Amino acid sequence: MRIVCPFCGERELGEFTYLGDAKPVRPAADAGEDAVYDYVYLRDNIAGMMSENWYHGGGCRAWLKVTRNTLTHEISAVEPAAGAGAAKVGA
Amino acid sequence: MAEFSWDIRSPLERALVSGAYGAPGDAGVALTEIRNFDLVQVMARRGKAAEMSKAAKGRFDVAAPETPKVARTADATLIWSGPDQFFVLSKGGKHGIGALGQAFAQSASLSDQSHARVLISVSGTKARAMLAKLSSIDLHPDVFAIGAAAATSMDHTSVTLWRSADRDGLAVFSVLVFATFAESLWHTMLDSAAEYGLAINHSEDL
Ligand SMILES: [Zn+2]
Repeated sequence: MRIVCPFCGERELGEFTYLGDAKPVRPAADAGEDAVYDYVYLRDNIAGMMSENWYHGGGCRAWLKVTRNTLTHEISAVEPAAGAGAAKVGA
Repeated sequence: MAEFSWDIRSPLERALVSGAYGAPGDAGVALTEIRNFDLVQVMARRGKAAEMSKAAKGRFDVAAPETPKVARTADATLIWSGPDQFFVLSKGGKHGIGALGQAFAQSASLSDQSHARVLISVSGTKARAMLAKLSSIDLHPDVFAIGAAAATSMDHTSVTLWRSADRDGLAVFSVLVFATFAESLWHTMLDSAAEYGLAINHSEDL
């Protein structure tokens, strides 16, 4: 598998580290215990298109949001995660 | 109180043995460690990338690279190291950590990496063949031209790789590696290049 880093170009999988599901959003401070439990522990086991966080630690050290099909490993989109390459995010 | 005498020593001091290594005959690969350089990491503060670019242009008279490339001035090399960040490589203190603070005070954070990295220059007729064993980057001249750079890994070790100006008509590749990983990568380079014959040296010239 290869990932096209938006900063570096196409690179081998060994340069990247997988963090996991990019969907969970940290709940508000007053959201309650169930919401925090869900955010910290519960994950969907997706068979199909999934939005994931990856880290290009063996390259530019940027966090990336990768859209990947977990059945085929086909990657349809890679974008900088929020905070990575501040100038490029949202551009 | 104990007195210490601090010597500047290369992290490759033990591993590097100048001279020939590997297959006899004309050396296919020349490995040269470059010593005593100034290296400063410049990283834009949040939302200040444009200001950092402007500051770099003002300080160096060339634009800092915003894609994996290097930009050269008469006495410094600016090397892309990731989004909104670059290295300043130079000699003699003119562009060292002490000299750059003022220019980037409003836009970037600086960190002195002069003694945190080892700089290895790889050249020779078999340089590409040897690097191909260690790197997944396409180093074909059509793809990786003079001035191209990459933040990548060799042998699971993070490196900054770029192509310097040709010497004697041959490509010269520069590799910056973390000091504590340098000896390991050095041995891997020797193993990779042994079949081509090696000329090993160190130098103070950037
Ligand atoms: Zn990258």
